[in-house]
Amino acid sequence: MESKVLKPILAVYVGLFILFLYGPFIVLGILSFQQGPEGGPQFPIIEWSTYWYRHLFGLTPPSRIAPLPVGEALVRSLTLAFMTMVTATVLGVMAAQAFRKRFRGAGIVFYLIVLGMMVPGVLTGLGTSLLANNVVGVERHWWSTAFLAHVVYTFPFAFLVMLAILNRFDGSVEEASWSLGVSPMKTFRKVTFPLIFPGVLSAMLFAFTLSFDEFPRTLFASGRDQTLPLAIYGTFSVEIHPNIFAFGVMTTLFSFALLAVYGILMGLSVRRAKKMAMQEDIA
Amino acid sequence: MTATSRIRQKKTTFRLLAPGVVWMILFLIAPIMMIVYVSFWTQTTFAINSSLTLDSWKNFFASEAYVGALWTTIRLWLIVLTLTFVIGYPAALYVGLMVKSKTISTVLLVLCVIPFWTSFLIRVLAWRPMLGKEGAINIILLKAGIIHTPIEVLLFSELSVIIGMTQIYVVFMVGPIAFMLGRIDHNIIEAARDLGAGFGRIFWKIIFPLSLPGVVVGAIFVSVMVLGEFATSGALSGRKVNLLGNIIVTQVGSLKWAMASVVGVILTILLGIVVAGFLRIVDLKREI
Repeated sequence: MESKVLKPILAVYVGLFILFLYGPFIVLGILSFQQGPEGGPQFPIIEWSTYWYRHLFGLTPPSRIAPLPVGEALVRSLTLAFMTMVTATVLGVMAAQAFRKRFRGAGIVFYLIVLGMMVPGVLTGLGTSLLANNVVGVERHWWSTAFLAHVVYTFPFAFLVMLAILNRFDGSVEEASWSLGVSPMKTFRKVTFPLIFPGVLSAMLFAFTLSFDEFPRTLFASGRDQTLPLAIYGTFSVEIHPNIFAFGVMTTLFSFALLAVYGILMGLSVRRAKKMAMQEDIA
Repeated sequence: MTATSRIRQKKTTFRLLAPGVVWMILFLIAPIMMIVYVSFWTQTTFAINSSLTLDSWKNFFASEAYVGALWTTIRLWLIVLTLTFVIGYPAALYVGLMVKSKTISTVLLVLCVIPFWTSFLIRVLAWRPMLGKEGAINIILLKAGIIHTPIEVLLFSELSVIIGMTQIYVVFMVGPIAFMLGRIDHNIIEAARDLGAGFGRIFWKIIFPLSLPGVVVGAIFVSVMVLGEFATSGALSGRKVNLLGNIIVTQVGSLKWAMASVVGVILTILLGIVVAGFLRIVDLKREI
Protein backbone atom coordinates (compact mmCIF):
# COMPACT_ATOMS: atom_id res chain seq x y z
CA MET A 1 0.00 0.00 0.00
CA GLU A 2 1.33 3.42 -1.01
CA SER A 3 0.39 5.08 2.24
CA LYS A 4 3.01 2.87 3.96
CA VAL A 5 5.62 4.76 1.96
CA LEU A 6 3.80 8.06 1.74
CA LYS A 7 3.00 8.48 5.41
CA PRO A 8 6.59 8.42 6.74
CA ILE A 9 7.70 10.70 3.91
CA LEU A 10 4.96 13.17 4.78
CA ALA A 11 5.80 12.89 8.48
CA VAL A 12 9.38 13.90 7.74
CA TYR A 13 8.05 16.65 5.50
CA VAL A 14 5.84 18.03 8.27
CA GLY A 15 8.88 18.03 10.55
CA LEU A 16 10.78 20.12 8.01
CA PHE A 17 7.73 22.32 7.56
CA ILE A 18 7.59 23.09 11.27
CA LEU A 19 11.33 23.77 11.21
CA PHE A 20 10.65 26.27 8.40
CA LEU A 21 8.03 27.97 10.58
CA TYR A 22 10.26 28.08 13.65
CA GLY A 23 13.74 28.44 12.09
CA PRO A 24 13.88 32.23 12.09
CA PHE A 25 12.76 32.33 15.73
CA ILE A 26 15.42 29.92 16.82
CA VAL A 27 18.07 32.03 15.12
CA LEU A 28 16.54 35.18 16.60
CA GLY A 29 16.48 33.64 20.05
CA ILE A 30 20.12 32.55 19.81
CA LEU A 31 21.29 35.93 18.56
CA SER A 32 19.47 37.76 21.35
CA PHE A 33 22.22 36.38 23.64
CA GLN A 34 24.93 38.03 21.57
CA GLN A 35 27.64 39.88 23.42
CA GLY A 36 27.10 43.60 23.77
CA PRO A 37 27.42 46.39 22.95
CA GLU A 38 29.90 45.53 20.16
CA GLY A 39 28.23 42.32 19.01
CA GLY A 40 26.08 42.80 15.96
CA PRO A 41 22.85 41.13 14.88
CA GLN A 42 24.67 38.28 13.11
CA PHE A 43 26.76 35.20 13.67
CA PRO A 44 29.12 34.22 15.07
CA ILE A 45 28.22 34.70 18.71
CA ILE A 46 31.27 36.47 20.13
CA GLU A 47 30.39 35.55 23.68
CA TRP A 48 27.11 34.50 25.28
CA SER A 49 25.62 37.24 27.42
CA THR A 50 22.36 38.72 28.61
CA TYR A 51 23.59 42.20 27.74
CA TRP A 52 20.77 43.00 25.33
CA TYR A 53 18.09 41.98 27.81
CA ARG A 54 19.60 44.26 30.41
CA HIS A 55 19.91 46.93 27.71
CA LEU A 56 16.19 46.60 27.07
CA PHE A 57 15.36 47.41 30.67
CA GLY A 58 17.93 50.20 30.89
CA LEU A 59 20.20 48.26 33.24
CA THR A 60 23.38 48.70 31.19
CA PRO A 61 25.76 51.63 31.26
CA PRO A 62 24.87 54.11 28.50
CA SER A 63 26.37 53.27 25.13
CA ARG A 64 26.10 54.60 21.59
CA ILE A 65 23.09 52.34 21.01
CA ALA A 66 19.92 54.08 22.10
CA PRO A 67 17.45 52.02 24.11
CA LEU A 68 14.33 50.91 22.27
CA PRO A 69 11.53 53.45 22.71
CA VAL A 70 9.12 50.84 23.96
CA GLY A 71 8.10 51.90 27.47
CA GLU A 72 5.31 54.35 26.70
CA ALA A 73 4.46 52.56 23.48
CA LEU A 74 3.78 49.40 25.47
CA VAL A 75 1.36 51.22 27.78
CA ARG A 76 -0.44 52.74 24.78
CA SER A 77 -0.70 49.39 23.00
CA LEU A 78 -2.05 47.67 26.10
CA THR A 79 -4.63 50.42 26.63
CA LEU A 80 -5.67 50.38 22.99
CA ALA A 81 -5.91 46.59 22.94
CA PHE A 82 -8.04 46.66 26.08
CA MET A 83 -10.40 49.31 24.70
CA THR A 84 -10.69 47.41 21.43
CA MET A 85 -11.24 44.10 23.21
CA VAL A 86 -14.15 45.42 25.26
CA THR A 87 -15.85 47.22 22.35
CA ALA A 88 -15.35 44.47 19.78
CA THR A 89 -16.55 41.75 22.15
CA VAL A 90 -19.69 43.68 23.15
CA LEU A 91 -20.53 44.40 19.50
CA GLY A 92 -19.73 40.81 18.55
CA VAL A 93 -21.91 39.26 21.25
CA MET A 94 -24.80 41.59 20.39
CA ALA A 95 -24.64 40.95 16.65
CA ALA A 96 -24.27 37.17 17.08
CA GLN A 97 -27.21 37.17 19.50
CA ALA A 98 -29.33 38.90 16.83
CA PHE A 99 -28.33 36.25 14.28
CA ARG A 100 -29.98 33.53 16.33
CA LYS A 101 -33.32 34.66 14.90
CA ARG A 102 -34.00 34.77 11.17
CA PHE A 103 -34.40 38.26 9.79
CA ARG A 104 -34.49 39.95 6.41
CA GLY A 105 -31.15 41.18 5.13
CA ALA A 106 -29.19 38.74 7.31
CA GLY A 107 -26.92 37.91 4.37
CA ILE A 108 -25.97 41.52 3.71
CA VAL A 109 -25.34 42.26 7.39
CA PHE A 110 -23.20 39.12 7.67
CA TYR A 111 -21.01 40.15 4.73
CA LEU A 112 -20.85 43.75 5.95
CA ILE A 113 -19.39 42.57 9.25
CA VAL A 114 -17.04 39.97 7.78
CA LEU A 115 -15.75 42.57 5.30
CA GLY A 116 -14.01 44.24 8.22
CA MET A 117 -11.53 41.40 8.55
CA MET A 118 -11.13 40.86 4.81
CA VAL A 119 -10.28 44.39 3.65
CA PRO A 120 -6.50 44.87 3.91
CA GLY A 121 -5.35 47.13 6.71
CA VAL A 122 -3.59 49.43 4.30
CA LEU A 123 -6.99 50.31 2.75
CA THR A 124 -8.97 50.77 5.97
CA GLY A 125 -6.06 52.72 7.39
CA LEU A 126 -5.84 54.99 4.36
CA GLY A 127 -9.61 55.53 4.23
CA THR A 128 -9.89 56.29 7.92
CA SER A 129 -7.08 58.81 7.81
CA LEU A 130 -8.56 60.45 4.68
CA LEU A 131 -11.90 60.77 6.40
CA ALA A 132 -10.38 62.19 9.57
CA ASN A 133 -7.89 64.45 7.85
CA ASN A 134 -9.79 65.85 4.90
CA VAL A 135 -13.48 65.64 5.71
CA VAL A 136 -14.08 65.72 9.44
CA GLY A 137 -10.89 67.64 10.10
CA VAL A 138 -9.85 66.00 13.36
CA GLU A 139 -6.38 65.08 14.46
CA ARG A 140 -5.53 61.41 14.35
CA HIS A 141 -4.66 59.66 17.60
CA TRP A 142 -4.07 56.08 18.64
CA TRP A 143 -7.03 56.32 21.05
CA SER A 144 -9.45 57.84 18.53
CA THR A 145 -9.08 57.06 14.82
CA ALA A 146 -6.80 54.07 15.30
CA PHE A 147 -9.22 52.70 17.90
CA LEU A 148 -12.12 52.95 15.41
CA ALA A 149 -10.12 51.07 12.78
CA HIS A 150 -9.05 48.42 15.32
CA VAL A 151 -12.66 47.68 16.21
CA VAL A 152 -13.57 47.41 12.50
CA TYR A 153 -10.84 44.75 12.26
CA THR A 154 -11.51 42.77 15.45
CA PHE A 155 -15.31 42.95 15.69
CA PRO A 156 -15.75 40.39 12.84
CA PHE A 157 -13.52 37.90 14.67
CA ALA A 158 -15.48 38.30 17.89
CA PHE A 159 -18.70 38.02 15.93
CA LEU A 160 -17.68 34.78 14.18
CA VAL A 161 -16.48 33.19 17.42
CA MET A 162 -19.76 34.05 19.14
CA LEU A 163 -21.77 32.87 16.15
CA ALA A 164 -20.06 29.48 16.32
CA ILE A 165 -20.75 29.27 20.06
CA LEU A 166 -24.39 30.37 19.84
CA ASN A 167 -25.08 27.98 16.96
CA ARG A 168 -24.51 25.10 19.34
CA PHE A 169 -26.36 26.77 22.20
CA ASP A 170 -29.45 25.06 23.59
CA GLY A 171 -32.18 27.71 23.64
CA SER A 172 -34.55 25.71 25.83
CA VAL A 173 -32.88 26.86 29.06
CA GLU A 174 -33.66 30.45 28.09
CA GLU A 175 -37.24 29.57 27.29
CA ALA A 176 -37.55 27.92 30.69
CA SER A 177 -36.31 31.11 32.31
CA TRP A 178 -38.70 33.30 30.30
CA SER A 179 -41.66 31.08 31.08
CA LEU A 180 -40.86 31.50 34.76
CA GLY A 181 -41.41 35.23 34.25
CA VAL A 182 -37.74 36.31 34.28
CA SER A 183 -37.17 39.34 32.04
CA PRO A 184 -35.14 38.79 28.84
CA MET A 185 -32.37 41.10 30.08
CA LYS A 186 -32.05 39.23 33.36
CA THR A 187 -32.24 35.90 31.54
CA PHE A 188 -29.34 36.96 29.39
CA ARG A 189 -27.28 37.98 32.41
CA LYS A 190 -28.11 35.02 34.61
CA VAL A 191 -28.59 32.17 32.14
CA THR A 192 -27.23 32.86 28.67
CA PHE A 193 -24.10 34.80 29.51
CA PRO A 194 -22.63 32.32 32.03
CA LEU A 195 -23.18 29.54 29.52
CA ILE A 196 -21.53 31.33 26.62
CA PHE A 197 -18.75 32.76 28.80
CA PRO A 198 -16.02 30.45 27.42
CA GLY A 199 -16.86 31.77 23.95
CA VAL A 200 -16.79 35.36 25.17
CA LEU A 201 -13.35 34.67 26.61
CA SER A 202 -12.11 33.38 23.25
CA ALA A 203 -13.57 36.40 21.47
CA MET A 204 -11.78 38.66 23.95
CA LEU A 205 -8.50 36.84 23.44
CA PHE A 206 -8.82 37.21 19.68
CA ALA A 207 -9.68 40.89 19.84
CA PHE A 208 -6.93 41.67 22.33
CA THR A 209 -4.08 39.89 20.56
CA LEU A 210 -5.11 41.11 17.10
CA SER A 211 -5.33 44.69 18.28
CA PHE A 212 -2.12 44.49 20.31
CA ASP A 213 -0.18 43.40 17.23
CA GLU A 214 -2.08 45.47 14.66
CA PHE A 215 0.25 47.39 12.42
CA PRO A 216 -0.99 48.66 9.00
CA ARG A 217 -4.19 50.33 10.24
CA THR A 218 -2.36 51.90 13.15
CA LEU A 219 0.40 53.21 10.89
CA PHE A 220 -2.10 55.32 8.96
CA ALA A 221 -4.76 56.05 11.52
CA SER A 222 -2.74 56.99 14.59
CA GLY A 223 -1.01 60.26 15.05
CA ARG A 224 2.39 61.15 16.50
CA ASP A 225 2.30 58.91 19.54
CA GLN A 226 3.48 55.45 18.61
CA THR A 227 2.05 52.12 19.63
CA LEU A 228 4.36 49.15 20.12
CA PRO A 229 4.28 47.80 16.54
CA LEU A 230 4.96 51.30 15.23
CA ALA A 231 7.92 51.65 17.58
CA ILE A 232 9.31 48.33 16.31
CA TYR A 233 8.73 49.40 12.71
CA GLY A 234 10.60 52.61 13.40
CA THR A 235 13.74 50.61 14.21
CA PHE A 236 13.61 48.83 10.83
CA SER A 237 14.86 51.77 8.84
CA VAL A 238 17.92 52.35 11.00
CA GLU A 239 20.65 49.85 11.80
CA ILE A 240 19.27 46.97 13.84
CA HIS A 241 20.90 45.65 16.99
CA PRO A 242 20.32 42.45 18.95
CA ASN A 243 18.20 44.42 21.45
CA ILE A 244 15.29 44.12 19.03
CA PHE A 245 15.83 40.34 19.04
CA ALA A 246 15.78 40.31 22.84
CA PHE A 247 12.61 42.34 22.64
CA GLY A 248 11.11 39.79 20.25
CA VAL A 249 11.83 37.01 22.73
CA MET A 250 10.26 39.06 25.53
CA THR A 251 7.05 39.78 23.56
CA THR A 252 6.73 36.10 22.69
CA LEU A 253 7.03 35.21 26.38
CA PHE A 254 4.43 37.87 27.16
CA SER A 255 2.05 36.33 24.63
CA PHE A 256 2.48 32.93 26.20
CA ALA A 257 1.74 34.45 29.60
CA LEU A 258 -1.46 35.90 28.12
CA LEU A 259 -2.30 32.52 26.66
CA ALA A 260 -1.71 30.91 30.06
CA VAL A 261 -4.07 33.40 31.74
CA TYR A 262 -6.65 32.56 29.10
CA GLY A 263 -6.13 28.85 29.73
CA ILE A 264 -6.53 29.28 33.49
CA LEU A 265 -9.70 31.39 33.14
CA MET A 266 -11.07 28.86 30.67
CA GLY A 267 -10.29 25.99 33.05
CA LEU A 268 -11.94 27.81 35.94
CA SER A 269 -15.11 28.58 33.98
CA VAL A 270 -15.38 24.99 32.76
CA ARG A 271 -14.87 23.71 36.29
CA ARG A 272 -17.52 26.11 37.60
CA ALA A 273 -19.95 24.93 34.96
CA LYS A 274 -19.29 21.31 35.95
CA LYS A 275 -19.79 22.12 39.61
CA MET A 276 -23.08 23.81 38.87
CA ALA A 277 -24.21 20.87 36.79
CA MET A 278 -23.35 18.55 39.68
CA GLN A 279 -25.32 20.65 42.16
CA GLU A 280 -28.27 20.45 39.83
CA ASP A 281 -27.94 16.70 39.71
CA ILE A 282 -27.99 16.52 43.50
CA ALA A 283 -30.98 18.83 43.70
CA MET B 1 -46.26 33.75 17.49
CA THR B 2 -48.54 36.72 17.99
CA ALA B 3 -48.20 39.93 16.00
CA THR B 4 -47.06 41.99 18.98
CA SER B 5 -44.36 39.53 19.97
CA ARG B 6 -43.15 39.44 16.39
CA ILE B 7 -42.86 43.22 16.37
CA ARG B 8 -41.09 43.13 19.70
CA GLN B 9 -38.67 40.54 18.36
CA LYS B 10 -37.96 42.66 15.30
CA LYS B 11 -37.21 45.56 17.61
CA THR B 12 -34.79 43.44 19.65
CA THR B 13 -32.99 42.24 16.53
CA PHE B 14 -32.71 45.82 15.32
CA ARG B 15 -31.35 47.07 18.64
CA LEU B 16 -28.80 44.27 18.82
CA LEU B 17 -27.56 44.84 15.29
CA ALA B 18 -27.70 48.63 15.01
CA PRO B 19 -24.47 49.52 16.87
CA GLY B 20 -22.32 47.05 14.92
CA VAL B 21 -23.86 47.88 11.56
CA VAL B 22 -23.58 51.62 12.12
CA TRP B 23 -19.96 51.19 13.21
CA MET B 24 -19.11 49.25 10.04
CA ILE B 25 -20.88 51.70 7.75
CA LEU B 26 -19.25 54.76 9.32
CA PHE B 27 -15.75 53.40 9.82
CA LEU B 28 -15.41 50.81 7.05
CA ILE B 29 -17.74 51.58 4.14
CA ALA B 30 -17.45 55.36 4.38
CA PRO B 31 -13.61 55.29 4.46
CA ILE B 32 -13.50 53.03 1.40
CA MET B 33 -15.94 55.31 -0.44
CA MET B 34 -13.74 58.18 0.62
CA ILE B 35 -10.72 56.58 -1.07
CA VAL B 36 -12.64 56.38 -4.34
CA TYR B 37 -13.80 60.00 -4.00
CA VAL B 38 -10.41 61.46 -3.07
CA SER B 39 -8.73 59.70 -5.98
CA PHE B 40 -10.44 62.29 -8.21
CA TRP B 41 -9.40 65.31 -6.13
CA THR B 42 -6.90 67.90 -7.24
CA GLN B 43 -3.45 67.56 -5.73
CA THR B 44 -1.27 70.60 -5.21
CA THR B 45 2.18 70.42 -3.69
CA PHE B 46 1.20 70.31 -0.04
CA ALA B 47 -2.58 70.07 -0.05
CA ILE B 48 -5.54 68.69 -1.87
CA ASN B 49 -8.87 70.28 -2.72
CA SER B 50 -12.11 68.72 -3.73
CA SER B 51 -12.37 69.99 -7.32
CA LEU B 52 -12.63 66.84 -9.39
CA THR B 53 -9.98 65.84 -11.90
CA LEU B 54 -8.52 62.76 -13.56
CA ASP B 55 -4.95 64.01 -13.14
CA SER B 56 -3.88 61.54 -10.47
CA TRP B 57 -5.24 58.64 -12.52
CA LYS B 58 -3.38 59.83 -15.60
CA ASN B 59 -0.22 60.25 -13.54
CA PHE B 60 -0.50 56.73 -12.24
CA PHE B 61 -0.73 55.13 -15.65
CA ALA B 62 1.91 57.46 -17.09
CA SER B 63 4.44 56.52 -14.42
CA GLU B 64 6.58 53.49 -15.05
CA ALA B 65 7.30 53.13 -11.34
CA TYR B 66 3.62 52.96 -10.37
CA VAL B 67 2.50 50.62 -13.12
CA GLY B 68 5.61 48.57 -12.36
CA ALA B 69 4.47 48.31 -8.74
CA LEU B 70 1.15 46.95 -9.97
CA TRP B 71 2.89 44.21 -11.96
CA THR B 72 5.31 43.46 -9.11
CA THR B 73 2.33 43.07 -6.77
CA ILE B 74 0.59 40.69 -9.16
CA ARG B 75 3.78 38.70 -9.80
CA LEU B 76 4.71 38.36 -6.12
CA TRP B 77 1.13 37.47 -5.25
CA LEU B 78 1.07 34.66 -7.83
CA ILE B 79 4.45 33.31 -6.69
CA VAL B 80 3.61 33.43 -2.98
CA LEU B 81 0.16 31.94 -3.59
CA THR B 82 1.65 29.05 -5.56
CA LEU B 83 4.35 28.45 -2.96
CA THR B 84 1.97 28.51 0.00
CA PHE B 85 -0.22 25.99 -1.84
CA VAL B 86 2.63 23.70 -2.93
CA ILE B 87 4.35 23.82 0.46
CA GLY B 88 1.16 23.86 2.52
CA TYR B 89 -0.87 21.12 0.86
CA PRO B 90 1.34 18.14 1.78
CA ALA B 91 1.53 19.39 5.37
CA ALA B 92 -2.26 19.73 5.45
CA LEU B 93 -2.61 16.28 3.90
CA TYR B 94 -0.60 14.78 6.74
CA VAL B 95 -2.24 16.77 9.53
CA GLY B 96 -5.79 16.49 8.24
CA LEU B 97 -5.95 13.05 6.69
CA MET B 98 -2.97 10.82 7.43
CA VAL B 99 -2.78 11.28 11.18
CA LYS B 100 -5.27 8.91 12.73
CA SER B 101 -5.13 10.33 16.24
CA LYS B 102 -7.13 13.53 16.80
CA THR B 103 -4.75 14.57 19.59
CA ILE B 104 -1.65 14.47 17.39
CA SER B 105 -3.37 16.37 14.63
CA THR B 106 -4.51 19.06 17.11
CA VAL B 107 -1.02 19.28 18.57
CA LEU B 108 0.45 19.73 15.08
CA LEU B 109 -2.07 22.46 14.24
CA VAL B 110 -1.36 24.25 17.53
CA LEU B 111 2.38 24.04 16.74
CA CYS B 112 1.66 25.80 13.45
CA VAL B 113 -0.36 28.53 15.14
CA ILE B 114 2.01 29.30 18.04
CA PRO B 115 4.27 31.60 15.99
CA PHE B 116 1.28 33.89 15.47
CA TRP B 117 1.53 34.94 19.06
CA THR B 118 4.76 36.69 18.26
CA SER B 119 4.54 40.16 16.80
CA PHE B 120 4.13 40.13 13.03
CA LEU B 121 6.97 42.61 12.60
CA ILE B 122 9.32 40.56 14.75
CA ARG B 123 8.50 37.53 12.60
CA VAL B 124 9.45 39.50 9.51
CA LEU B 125 12.59 40.81 11.14
CA ALA B 126 13.61 37.31 12.22
CA TRP B 127 14.43 36.54 8.59
CA ARG B 128 17.25 39.08 8.51
CA PRO B 129 19.80 37.14 10.60
CA MET B 130 18.62 34.03 8.79
CA LEU B 131 19.15 35.21 5.21
CA GLY B 132 21.93 37.79 5.47
CA LYS B 133 25.38 37.44 3.94
CA GLU B 134 26.64 36.31 7.36
CA GLY B 135 23.28 34.74 8.13
CA ALA B 136 22.44 31.29 9.40
CA ILE B 137 21.65 29.77 6.00
CA ASN B 138 24.88 30.93 4.43
CA ILE B 139 26.90 29.71 7.42
CA ILE B 140 25.26 26.30 7.31
CA LEU B 141 25.74 25.97 3.55
CA LEU B 142 29.38 27.09 3.81
CA LYS B 143 30.13 24.69 6.65
CA ALA B 144 28.50 21.85 4.76
CA GLY B 145 30.71 22.65 1.81
CA ILE B 146 27.76 23.08 -0.56
CA ILE B 147 28.81 26.61 -1.47
CA HIS B 148 32.18 28.35 -1.22
CA THR B 149 31.15 31.98 -1.28
CA PRO B 150 28.11 33.28 0.62
CA ILE B 151 24.96 33.81 -1.43
CA GLU B 152 24.24 37.50 -1.32
CA VAL B 153 20.96 37.45 -3.18
CA LEU B 154 19.24 35.84 -0.17
CA LEU B 155 18.61 39.12 1.63
CA PHE B 156 17.41 42.50 0.38
CA SER B 157 16.06 41.03 -2.83
CA GLU B 158 12.77 39.85 -4.21
CA LEU B 159 13.71 36.35 -3.11
CA SER B 160 13.86 37.34 0.56
CA VAL B 161 10.43 38.94 0.31
CA ILE B 162 9.04 35.78 -1.24
CA ILE B 163 10.62 33.54 1.41
CA GLY B 164 9.42 35.78 4.22
CA MET B 165 5.84 36.06 2.95
CA THR B 166 5.60 32.34 2.23
CA GLN B 167 6.65 31.48 5.77
CA ILE B 168 4.32 34.03 7.34
CA TYR B 169 1.22 33.15 5.28
CA VAL B 170 1.57 29.42 4.57
CA VAL B 171 -0.31 28.52 7.75
CA PHE B 172 -3.41 30.32 6.45
CA MET B 173 -3.37 27.82 3.58
CA VAL B 174 -2.71 24.78 5.77
CA GLY B 175 -5.51 25.49 8.24
CA PRO B 176 -8.56 25.52 5.92
CA ILE B 177 -7.25 22.62 3.80
CA ALA B 178 -6.55 20.47 6.86
CA PHE B 179 -10.03 21.31 8.14
CA MET B 180 -11.71 20.14 4.92
CA LEU B 181 -9.50 17.03 4.73
CA GLY B 182 -10.40 16.18 8.31
CA ARG B 183 -14.07 16.01 7.36
CA ILE B 184 -13.56 13.39 4.65
CA ASP B 185 -15.31 10.13 5.50
CA HIS B 186 -12.61 7.44 5.57
CA ASN B 187 -15.14 4.87 4.39
CA ILE B 188 -15.20 6.51 0.95
CA ILE B 189 -11.45 6.07 0.65
CA GLU B 190 -11.68 2.48 1.90
CA ALA B 191 -14.41 1.76 -0.64
CA ALA B 192 -12.34 3.19 -3.49
CA ARG B 193 -9.35 1.16 -2.33
CA ASP B 194 -11.43 -2.02 -2.16
CA LEU B 195 -12.52 -1.35 -5.72
CA GLY B 196 -8.87 -1.33 -6.70
CA ALA B 197 -8.08 2.38 -7.03
CA GLY B 198 -4.46 3.36 -6.45
CA PHE B 199 -3.44 6.25 -4.24
CA GLY B 200 -2.98 8.63 -7.18
CA ARG B 201 -6.44 7.93 -8.45
CA ILE B 202 -7.98 8.20 -4.98
CA PHE B 203 -6.19 11.49 -4.46
CA TRP B 204 -7.27 13.12 -7.71
CA LYS B 205 -10.80 11.72 -7.80
CA ILE B 206 -11.77 11.93 -4.13
CA ILE B 207 -9.37 13.68 -1.79
CA PHE B 208 -8.45 16.73 -3.85
CA PRO B 209 -11.98 17.64 -5.01
CA LEU B 210 -13.28 17.33 -1.43
CA SER B 211 -10.49 19.58 -0.15
CA LEU B 212 -11.08 22.24 -2.82
CA PRO B 213 -13.26 24.52 -0.66
CA GLY B 214 -10.41 24.59 1.86
CA VAL B 215 -7.96 25.49 -0.89
CA VAL B 216 -10.22 28.32 -2.02
CA VAL B 217 -10.63 29.72 1.50
CA GLY B 218 -6.89 29.46 2.08
CA ALA B 219 -6.18 31.11 -1.27
CA ILE B 220 -8.53 33.98 -0.42
CA PHE B 221 -6.84 34.50 2.96
CA VAL B 222 -3.35 34.45 1.45
CA SER B 223 -4.32 36.65 -1.50
CA VAL B 224 -5.98 39.32 0.60
CA MET B 225 -3.00 39.50 2.92
CA VAL B 226 -0.27 39.39 0.28
CA LEU B 227 -1.93 41.94 -1.99
CA GLY B 228 -2.27 44.39 0.91
CA GLU B 229 1.31 43.85 2.12
CA PHE B 230 3.94 46.50 2.51
CA ALA B 231 5.81 45.76 5.74
CA THR B 232 7.48 42.53 4.63
CA SER B 233 8.54 43.98 1.29
CA GLY B 234 9.79 47.11 3.02
CA ALA B 235 11.77 45.29 5.69
CA LEU B 236 13.24 42.43 3.67
CA SER B 237 13.90 44.00 0.29
CA GLY B 238 15.75 47.10 1.43
CA ARG B 239 13.21 49.24 -0.48
CA LYS B 240 14.06 47.44 -3.73
CA VAL B 241 10.69 45.73 -4.07
CA ASN B 242 7.80 48.18 -4.21
CA LEU B 243 4.30 46.81 -3.95
CA LEU B 244 1.11 48.84 -4.28
CA GLY B 245 1.02 48.98 -0.47
CA ASN B 246 4.50 50.50 -0.36
CA ILE B 247 3.43 53.17 -2.85
CA ILE B 248 0.45 54.06 -0.66
CA VAL B 249 2.69 54.39 2.40
CA THR B 250 5.23 56.63 0.69
CA GLN B 251 2.53 58.77 -0.96
CA VAL B 252 0.77 59.34 2.35
CA GLY B 253 4.14 60.07 3.91
CA SER B 254 4.64 62.92 1.45
CA LEU B 255 0.99 64.06 1.82
CA LYS B 256 0.09 63.01 -1.73
CA TRP B 257 -3.35 61.87 -0.66
CA ALA B 258 -4.86 61.83 -4.15
CA MET B 259 -2.22 59.51 -5.59
CA ALA B 260 -2.39 57.28 -2.51
CA SER B 261 -6.14 57.03 -3.12
CA VAL B 262 -5.68 56.11 -6.78
CA VAL B 263 -3.41 53.26 -5.74
CA GLY B 264 -5.93 52.32 -3.04
CA VAL B 265 -8.73 52.09 -5.60
CA ILE B 266 -6.59 49.98 -7.93
CA LEU B 267 -5.73 47.67 -5.03
CA THR B 268 -9.43 47.40 -4.13
CA ILE B 269 -10.38 46.51 -7.71
CA LEU B 270 -7.57 43.94 -7.90
CA LEU B 271 -8.74 42.36 -4.64
CA GLY B 272 -12.34 42.33 -5.83
CA ILE B 273 -11.42 40.52 -9.04
CA VAL B 274 -9.25 37.97 -7.22
CA VAL B 275 -11.78 37.17 -4.50
CA ALA B 276 -14.71 37.01 -6.95
CA GLY B 277 -12.64 34.73 -9.17
CA PHE B 278 -11.93 32.32 -6.32
CA LEU B 279 -15.56 32.32 -5.22
CA ARG B 280 -16.54 31.27 -8.74
CA ILE B 281 -14.53 28.05 -8.40
CA VAL B 282 -16.46 26.85 -5.39
CA ASP B 283 -19.81 27.86 -3.97
CA LEU B 284 -18.65 28.32 -0.41
CA LYS B 285 -22.10 28.82 1.06
CA ARG B 286 -23.18 25.39 -0.15
CA GLU B 287 -19.97 23.68 0.94
CA ILE B 288 -19.73 25.08 4.45
